[in-house]
Amino acid sequence: MSGTIIEIENLTKVFYTDEIETHALSGVHLTIDRGEYVAMSGPSGCGKSTLLSIIGLLDTPTGGRYTLNGKEVANLNFADRSRIRNQEIGFIFQSFNLIGDLTVAENVELPLTYRTGMPSSERKKKVQESLERVNMAHRMRHYPAQLSGGQQQRVAVARALAGSPSILLADEPTGNLDSKNGEAVMKLLQELHQEGATICMVTHDPRFAAHAERQIHLFDGKVVAEGELNQLLAEV
Amino acid sequence: MNKLWQDVRYGLRQLRKSPGFTLTAVITLALGIGANAAIFTLVQGILLRSLPFSDPNQLYRIGDKDDCCVEGGFVGDNGDFDIYSYDLYLQFKQSAPEFEQLAAMRAGFGGFSVRRGNEIAKELTGEYVSGNYFSTLGIGSYLGRVFSDSDDTPSAAPVVVLSYEGWQNEFASDTSIVGSTISVETHPFTVIGIAPRGFFGDRITGNPPMFWIPLNTEPTISGNGSILHHPDSNFLYAVGRVKPGTPIPALQAKLSATMREWMKTRPVYTENGASAEIPKQHVTVVPAGGGIQNLQQEAGDGLTMLMILSSVVLLIACANIANLLLARATARKAEVSLRMALGSGRSRLVRQIFTESVLLSLIGGLVGLAVAYAGSRVILILAFPGAKHLPVSATPSWQVLGFAFGISLLTGALFGTTPAWISTHAQPAEVLRGSSRSTSDRSSLPQKALVVFQAALSLVLLVGAALMTKSLNKLEHQNFGLHTENRYVAHFDPHGAGYSLDRLPALYHEIQNRFESLPGVTGVGLAMYSPLEGDNWGECIIQQGHPAPRPGEHCGSTWDRVSAGYLDVIGVPKVRGREFTDQDTATSLPVAIVNETFVKRFFPNQDPIGRHFGIDDVKYSGSWEIIGVFKDFKINNPKEEPRPVYLRPMTQYYKPYTESGFISTEDQSMYANSIMLRFNRPQQDADALIRRTLASIDPNLTINDLRSLDAQVADNFDQDRLLARLTTLFGVLALILASVGLYGVTSYLVVRRTSEIGIRMALGSTRGRVVQLVLRSVAWQIGLGLALGIPSTLLAGHYMKSQLYGVSEYDATAMIAGVVVLCCCALIAGFIPARRAASIEPMQALRTE
Repeated sequence: MSGTIIEIENLTKVFYTDEIETHALSGVHLTIDRGEYVAMSGPSGCGKSTLLSIIGLLDTPTGGRYTLNGKEVANLNFADRSRIRNQEIGFIFQSFNLIGDLTVAENVELPLTYRTGMPSSERKKKVQESLERVNMAHRMRHYPAQLSGGQQQRVAVARALAGSPSILLADEPTGNLDSKNGEAVMKLLQELHQEGATICMVTHDPRFAAHAERQIHLFDGKVVAEGELNQLLAEV
Repeated sequence: MNKLWQDVRYGLRQLRKSPGFTLTAVITLALGIGANAAIFTLVQGILLRSLPFSDPNQLYRIGDKDDCCVEGGFVGDNGDFDIYSYDLYLQFKQSAPEFEQLAAMRAGFGGFSVRRGNEIAKELTGEYVSGNYFSTLGIGSYLGRVFSDSDDTPSAAPVVVLSYEGWQNEFASDTSIVGSTISVETHPFTVIGIAPRGFFGDRITGNPPMFWIPLNTEPTISGNGSILHHPDSNFLYAVGRVKPGTPIPALQAKLSATMREWMKTRPVYTENGASAEIPKQHVTVVPAGGGIQNLQQEAGDGLTMLMILSSVVLLIACANIANLLLARATARKAEVSLRMALGSGRSRLVRQIFTESVLLSLIGGLVGLAVAYAGSRVILILAFPGAKHLPVSATPSWQVLGFAFGISLLTGALFGTTPAWISTHAQPAEVLRGSSRSTSDRSSLPQKALVVFQAALSLVLLVGAALMTKSLNKLEHQNFGLHTENRYVAHFDPHGAGYSLDRLPALYHEIQNRFESLPGVTGVGLAMYSPLEGDNWGECIIQQGHPAPRPGEHCGSTWDRVSAGYLDVIGVPKVRGREFTDQDTATSLPVAIVNETFVKRFFPNQDPIGRHFGIDDVKYSGSWEIIGVFKDFKINNPKEEPRPVYLRPMTQYYKPYTESGFISTEDQSMYANSIMLRFNRPQQDADALIRRTLASIDPNLTINDLRSLDAQVADNFDQDRLLARLTTLFGVLALILASVGLYGVTSYLVVRRTSEIGIRMALGSTRGRVVQLVLRSVAWQIGLGLALGIPSTLLAGHYMKSQLYGVSEYDATAMIAGVVVLCCCALIAGFIPARRAASIEPMQALRTE
């Protein structure tokens, strides 16, 4: 299955603090096709996390168009954004963001509980499959605090996968991991991509960005370079 | 010492830095400690205090119960005597050398008309006491002298000792009063001294005596109505100073034996098979250092209940403080980690945090004392409304200060220890790690447990308040069987104004006529005493043709004298026969009217009209003919079912009596005490109008007390009102504290869970689901609180049973009301932070660490 999942045109985001306007994004154009593995990079404060949060419907743009799966989503209300986020997007955070009072299985099941009409048996099946996919099924009754950082991030990936989202958004997924665990997570994302997942990852580490098939470089809220890794390297 | 001072200074700085926390904690503690100290002031002033007698431990009372005020024959059903005739008192005195001194005092105080020179007479409370009263209690004089035995003889010149309060307030602290003559019930008495300041007599009461007069002046004052020399009229309490080393059980046995021997000489205790009752008659000798404990026995249960309820409020306040301190300890974990990283030892940190907690508690205790002082004043006013000279001070005593200081320290120590312990178990390495990688609110478990505990206790107090309020409402709105609206009662004292028996009919006639002619007055009645004023005369009824009642047989009936038309004035309907008319006089057929309960008790299944009955002696069993029956009404105790009551005409003197005791009672009963007036509308100027009218009849007739019948009835519920108001106050206080606690914990958890909420929202949770999430946690806490609170409430209700009227201790409405109020407050307290949680932007939440 191919086609465009994300289409962004002239996206802007301005933060207002006191009397100061901060232009986090200034006219960003971006498309992501189904099955693509895109890495966004750039220096600190360049707007990559802001862009990711808008893509993930965690935030709303100040201007521009954003189409997800062919539907205009820039100006949806909170409830609609919650629903789409739940069904279409899987998040992987830098700090894992697992809920400490829930077991591994409950953490993975969490986004599924927000879906109406999904029977418990189906949720359990999806949880099992997701955890098996990241090799964490044997730890499903553990609590996050009982896991290593790498294991916690794998659980976070399983949680992102459980709802079979259209796209996985990863914000510095290796930022809190040592290099060995970081590599393992990157390998996992690579495998998911090879199995057909669409991935958009924010990273400032060129080694990990190299895992993506397309890289977008942001600077001062604008896309300043875009292309396949080899192409970008050639341009540089 | 230097380190402690450093800790104190740092602690004060920390408290100053967090004014919101400090203010909340201090107010919470002040309310908790203040409520307790206020109630303790009352408990200490009433229950625990020794009166200012010298060597109070040597003082013992013969008798342990109230049984006021004049009793004939056996006292009570169990043979426990508490009140004695003068003759029996003298027997005790003579037969028990174990007493260094044995004093007697009249059980009931009386109102006496007192006048100095040509001043207007005042109604003052006075007490008849034996000549050795002051020396037995070890009380000297402030001015002049107190009584000696020689002042209490039939031939002694009448003398009076004023109380310090009476001297100050009624005689303007005039020192020349000592040695001068004042008139008591128109008889001249020489003031021989002033009792010392702070001495209010032999018991705590809202209306202590303003003066004391010797027992042997009673015949002079009461005239034919005197009971001093009636061996069968029990009206005295006895308190003595026991010689050191006297075994009290042996003394008690000896006095009981003396009393039994004496009884064998008195027909009233031997006739009609009464002798069989003598072996079980006895006295109980009890410590009297705290005086005669009537008020203590009456109010003890209520005060104990209030003490328990205020302790519950303190517990809830402490739970709040613990919660605040726990939250603060968690919030300061980073600071503590840093301090440990910088080399501070755990004990040093524990001491620091502990010092802060104790400082906080002490500040709370200090503010609490101010709350206690204000609270005590309010409570005393509520407890003794209308009291002129309160014997209990609202100023915190050393004991109260110690109590407040003690609970402050205890609160600080208890609730400072855990947070200090938690804080110092932070790892120094935390400071390097910064935030945790997974969110968890597991650490809030103790806080949630405290909220559960608070909710449970709040429910107990809320339901308790609802029960007491419902009980008061039932008491106040019960069917008294009479109408109170637009009725006024004026209490006066024709005896004190010098009226002899023969002048009374004319006086009553004049009063009736003059008041009836007043505009707006639609009815006038006179009575020996009016309904629910606290007085009650009782006699043993003997129906004509019946044998004398056996001992223990229920023959008692309340009785009163009333004028023609009196029942109509108080709105009591006639059931059968007729009421009194002006033709029922001393020369007409002796008659009585009775209530329905009287008929049921003494003439069951019979037509009572035309039947005859009398009192106490078979030969008088035909004294009065029943001419009418009226519906039951509450005449004495509004909490009891109506007793048998018979009424006699105000001016119908019964002449056949030959025994002095009967004659004396008959004489006394001829003096009306109440003028009952019915107006056709609320009368704003009733007070002035009534006083003016009575003065125009005779300026010597002073009004001792004037109030609406509504107010007189309401006075019966002072203690119930105090209890209901205080339990409601404690309930509301508990609810506020618990709500603040729940709000605080929920807010704290929302802050702690900001990141989690962000994650949930990022994963697709809606705002509604976030509100649900937070409220679910609140619901769990309140649910568990109810699960604990409902059985506790049922248990508490069981112990409150004796304080309730017309309400089951397991009243479902009160329980439901308590549960609903608690749930509503919890919902509000939880909804505010829940809404705040739902308004969190996911991105902002995810950035929060």
